[in-house]
Amino acid sequence: MSRSDWRAHAWQLVHAAPQRPALHMALDEVLADEVAAGRRPPTLRVWEWAASAVVIGRFQSLRNEVDMEAARRHRIQVVRRITGGGAMFIEPGNTITYSIYAPLSLVEGLSFQEAYARMDAWVVEALGTLGIRAWYQPLNDLTSEAGKIGGAAQAHRGGALLHHVTMAYDIDTAKMLQVLRIGREKLSDKGTPSAAKRVDPLRRQTGLPREAIVARMIDTFRRRHGLAEGALRDEELQRAAALAQAKFGSAAWTAEVP
Amino acid sequence: MHGEYKMPGGKLVVIDLALRGDRLADVQLSGDFFLEPDHAFACINAALQNLPAATDELAIAAAVHAALPAGVRMYGLSPEAVAVAVRRAVQAGIA
Repeated sequence: MSRSDWRAHAWQLVHAAPQRPALHMALDEVLADEVAAGRRPPTLRVWEWAASAVVIGRFQSLRNEVDMEAARRHRIQVVRRITGGGAMFIEPGNTITYSIYAPLSLVEGLSFQEAYARMDAWVVEALGTLGIRAWYQPLNDLTSEAGKIGGAAQAHRGGALLHHVTMAYDIDTAKMLQVLRIGREKLSDKGTPSAAKRVDPLRRQTGLPREAIVARMIDTFRRRHGLAEGALRDEELQRAAALAQAKFGSAAWTAEVP
Repeated sequence: MHGEYKMPGGKLVVIDLALRGDRLADVQLSGDFFLEPDHAFACINAALQNLPAATDELAIAAAVHAALPAGVRMYGLSPEAVAVAVRRAVQAGIA
């Protein structure tokens, strides 16, 4: 197999109304599997959040990462995703999240580092048109001179690549620090005294409304790679809803690494 | 008992464990690394259970390496990093 070009695929956009955190987790699994099975074209899904959430990585310890009492107090849902990486603190108006479900051929022969950079080159370009000089900071951060913008994660499922990214549009740092336990070891490596300084949100860097940034991102993807309007199929939504209930909404999965 | 190791250029690798007699028990790996296939995670945890607490870093890394399934993909994680975190957890328990 040789590496395919973005233009070799007929990309479809899914941008649905706000959905629950557990349903978002389930949709990533279902849509990656649909693309792997050839039942869905390669897809860009832009997320809208219906609730605040902490999304922890597949292998993170729930109690090491999250203060569950604080999460309950702030009505923040805690979910575990299927990809590795670190915890994300989500508030609906403060976050820009998207997933790309692609044939694995798109990253054929690339190192981890190259694969992450390739999947987000369109975002780096979109941010550039908004005056932000952004780049990939290995292993999996999207960053600019002003600070970290977002984090990415990838997983392979069958013949499909799942690549998803959460970017900070705005951030309530005080609330985040109440809910997330930030490990000392990690901070020492970043050379900064507090998690607060690590993230510099897009709102401050652009002065634009969140919707304008999302629109520019979608336009940039369409111009570079082609992008047709699409929607979730009923069958996909039903399977995701069942999975959200049975797996992603369950304590067994969320606390699988206690 | 708890040990952490931030791999240079890698991710945070965490080990929680107990000592039962002179052996490792209830070993739980965690962290913000990337690891595929998914069941490789259970393979690593299983490889660490019941190891003698005195096992050195090199031997721990070898045990992890031997347990990895074919086609494993690790990003920000290595058997050597797991071994460092295990030794730190054991030493934290003894200290």
